[in-house]
Amino acid sequence: MKKAIVYLNQFFGQIGGEDKADFAPVLKEGLVGPAQEFNRRLEAEVTHTVICGDNYMGSREEEAVQQILDALADKEFDIFLAGPAFQAGRYGNACGVICKAVKQRFKVPVLTSMHVENPGVEMFSKDIVIFKGGRSAAAMRKNIKAMATYANKLLSGQELFDAQTEGYFGRGIRHQVWRPDQKPAADRAVEMLLKKLKGEAFVSELPIPELEKVAIAPPVTDLSQATIAFATSGGIVPKENPDRIQSASATRWGRYSIKGLERLAGGEYKTIHAGYDPTAVDADPNVCVPVDALRAYEREGKIGKLHEYFYSTVGTGTTQAEAARMGQEMIEYFQNEGVDAVVLLST
Amino acid sequence: MKLEIGNFPVKDIVFGAKTCYSDGLLTINKQEALAVVKEDEHITEADLEIVMPGDQVRLVPVKEAIEPRVKLDGSPLFPGAAGDLVRAGSGRTHALKGCSVLVVGKHWGGFQDGLIDMAGEGAKYTYYSQLKNIVLVADTDEEFEQQEQQKKNHALRWAGMRLAEYLGRCVKDLEPEQVEIYQLPGITRRDKALKNLPQVVLVLQAQSQMEEPGYNDLFYGWDCNHLLPTLVHPNEILDGAIISGSFMPCSSKWSTYDFQNFPTIKRLYQEHGKSLNFLGVILSNLNVALEQKQRSALVTAALAQTLGADGAIVAEEGYGNPDADFIACIVALEDAGIMTVGLTNECTGRDGASQPLVTLDPKADAIVSCGNVSELIELPPMERVIGELQSLARDGLSGGWADDEILGPSVRKDGSIIMENNAMFCGDQVVGWSPKTVKEY
Amino acid sequence: MQMANLIPVATTVGANKIVPTISIPYPLGDPATSPQEQWKLRYHRVGVALDALTADIQEQTVFKVKY
Repeated sequence: MKKAIVYLNQFFGQIGGEDKADFAPVLKEGLVGPAQEFNRRLEAEVTHTVICGDNYMGSREEEAVQQILDALADKEFDIFLAGPAFQAGRYGNACGVICKAVKQRFKVPVLTSMHVENPGVEMFSKDIVIFKGGRSAAAMRKNIKAMATYANKLLSGQELFDAQTEGYFGRGIRHQVWRPDQKPAADRAVEMLLKKLKGEAFVSELPIPELEKVAIAPPVTDLSQATIAFATSGGIVPKENPDRIQSASATRWGRYSIKGLERLAGGEYKTIHAGYDPTAVDADPNVCVPVDALRAYEREGKIGKLHEYFYSTVGTGTTQAEAARMGQEMIEYFQNEGVDAVVLLST
Repeated sequence: MKLEIGNFPVKDIVFGAKTCYSDGLLTINKQEALAVVKEDEHITEADLEIVMPGDQVRLVPVKEAIEPRVKLDGSPLFPGAAGDLVRAGSGRTHALKGCSVLVVGKHWGGFQDGLIDMAGEGAKYTYYSQLKNIVLVADTDEEFEQQEQQKKNHALRWAGMRLAEYLGRCVKDLEPEQVEIYQLPGITRRDKALKNLPQVVLVLQAQSQMEEPGYNDLFYGWDCNHLLPTLVHPNEILDGAIISGSFMPCSSKWSTYDFQNFPTIKRLYQEHGKSLNFLGVILSNLNVALEQKQRSALVTAALAQTLGADGAIVAEEGYGNPDADFIACIVALEDAGIMTVGLTNECTGRDGASQPLVTLDPKADAIVSCGNVSELIELPPMERVIGELQSLARDGLSGGWADDEILGPSVRKDGSIIMENNAMFCGDQVVGWSPKTVKEY
Repeated sequence: MQMANLIPVATTVGANKIVPTISIPYPLGDPATSPQEQWKLRYHRVGVALDALTADIQEQTVFKVKY
C-alpha cells in the first residue's frame, strides 16, 4: 500500500489556538485531526502527521523547513498533503512553503487546498497544485475529498485532467489535449464568433495572461569607461558551430572571442537559426552581431571597451525556462569578467 | 461565383492495368503515373505506394498532401503555380474524396517536412492517417539543397501536383456520387435578409516569411511575401488558387489538401444565410519586419471595414514571430469595431510553462487554440517506414534532433522515436479540423 | 537593453530599453541597399543602443532612431 504524510498547523494539529502559534514542528506517528479524514479517503495509508505552528513557520521559515525535511528524511512516503488552509493566510503560506520544499527535496507529489482569497494562492499556485477550497473549516470534508480524489488518481497512475476540470488553481502550464467531444476547431471558432457578435458569454481557449514586469536596471553612468558585451538570439556562430547549438528549441549557447577582430567575416561566421532566412546574415554577420560598429565606437572612445566575447544562442521555439537559465549562465561570465552592460539583439 | 465539386468517394486503391475509378475502387496504372512524375528530369528516382488507415506504416519526411482532382473545362488544377493563369473557383471540379497524394522524400528531409503514422498511438497526431493515401516517394538531383535545412522541395512538390491532376482525370467524364455547391452572390447583390445578418469575413494569414523565392505559399503562382491583403472569393481557395509552401515547422503548416478542403471556409458556408452573411476571404500574409506586419494588419482592417464586416475570424499559418502578425491583425480589427476570433496554435515549450504566443494583447479575447507545437511525443517502432526514418534526426526537421543530452537522439536504434509535435505533418490543423485544444494544468 | 525588430514581442516579455532594428533576417543592414547605407544605419542604431544604456528611464521605453 502507498504511503502518505499530512501537514497541519497547531490548531488543526490539536496543539492549541493562537497562543500555540509558535509551536516548533513535530512529526507524529499516526493520525491527528484531519489526517483521519485523509486516511479514510485515500487509497494510501497516512503514516505520519507533521504539526507546526503558523507563526513559527512564518517567522523562522528556514529553520522550520529544515527541521521538517530532516524529520522526513528517513520516512518512506509517496505523497505529501498539507492543509486544507481555507482562508487562513499564515496557514496558507505555511502549506505553500512546506509543499514546495518537500516537492523539491523528495520529488514526491504535493497537494494543498486554499480559498481563492488566501494570499498563499498568489504566492504558490505556479509551483504546486493548490485545490480551490472553502472559506472555513465547514468545507473540511469537501476539500479533503477533492484532494484525496486527485491524489488517488495520481497514485494509481490514472489520467489527470486540466486544472479547471480537476478543481485546482492553474499553474500556468499549458498542454495540448484532445477534446472528448472531438469538436473541430472550425466549429469552435464559428460558434465563438457568433456568441461574441450576439454579446453572449464565451470562453477563449487561450486566456491572455497578465504581463510580467521586469525591474529597470540602473543606468550606466560613464559609458566611456564601461565594458560593453554583445549577445544575440540570432544564432550567429563560428561556421563549424563548435557548441552544437540547436537550430530550434535551443538548450545550448556559446561565447566566441572577437579579440583583434574588426568585423565578423562572412564564411567564417554564419547563423544556425532555423526560424528566418539566413541569406543576409550569412553574407555579412555584422548585420546581426555588429562588431564593426562596436569597434568604431570603441576607437572613438564612446565606450571604454568591447568585451572579448560575443554571446549567442537560438531564440526560435526556445522555452522561457531554458532562455532564463542560459541568461543566468551568461550573467556569471559578465560579472566575473567585469562587463558593465550588455546589448542584446533578438531576431 | 458558383463552384460545383463532384465527389467520388474512394473506398479502396489498387494498382492495375488502367487508371480508372469504378464504384469506389481507384485503380492506378503505376507505370503511367510514374511517367507523369518523371516528366521533370530533376526527379531521379520515384515509386508509388498505397497506404491505408491502420497500416503499420510510418512516413517521413512528408513534404506535401494534395487531393486528386480535375477541372471539367480542362483548366489547370493550380493555375499560375502549375499551369496557365486562369481563374479558379467557378465551374465544375471533380474530386477523389477520402484520399490524398502524399509526397515523401526518399532520403532528404528539412525543417518544413513532417511525419505521419498510419496506425497506433502516433496516428492521432495528424489528419492524414485517416485518409487512403497514394504515396509518391522520390528523390531528386537538387543537390544544392540536400544539406540545407530549408528546402524548396520544388521538383517533389510539383511532381505531386502533376500526379494529383493525372489521377483526377480518371473521373472527368463520370457521374459523381454527390455534388457540393459553393455559391455566393456579389457582395452588393445580396438580398435584405442576408444584409440583416452579422457580416463576417475570414482572414487567412498564409505563410510567407521567406524573402528568397521558392519557399512561400503561392496565390495564383504569386509569392505571398509580395502580397498586400486582398479580397478573395472563398471558392478560389477551395479550387486551387493557393498552394502550400515549403517553410515553417510542419505541424503549423497548411498543405495544399488543407487549402482545397479548408474546413473553416466550409463551416462559414454552412452558416451563410442562417446566422451570418459570409462576405468572403481576406488573404493576408506573415512577414519578417515589424513595418510589414503592421501594414498587413492595417490594410486587412481597412478592407474588412470597407466591406462592412461586423465580425472576423483570423487564422495564422505559423507560430513564433508570426504571432506578432496574428495579434496585430486581431487588434487592428478590434480597433475598427470588428468582433474578432483568432484561430492558431501555441508554443508553450516541452514543459508547457512558456508564454503561449510571443506577443499578447488583452484585445485578443477570443482565441481557439489547436495545439502546442512543442509537446514531446514518444512512439514505438513501426513495421515499415516509407522514406527514411533517419531524416527526422539528421536533416533538421523542426521537431527532431540528432542528439540531446537528456533525451538522446530522435531516432533510436530499435526504430522508436522521440520528437516534438512540431514535426507532425500539418498536425495542428489550424485550418479547422483540429480536435485538439490547449488546457492549463 | 534590447535591439529588436518585433517591438511588441520585446514589450510583451518585459524588456525596458528597446531600440528598433529593421527586420528579423537582417536586423542592422538591408542587403538590398549599398554597403555605405548599411553601415550608416548600423552605426547609427548601435550608437542609439549604447546611449540608451545611460538613459535613466522610469518605464518601458522604445528609443527613436533616425536611419
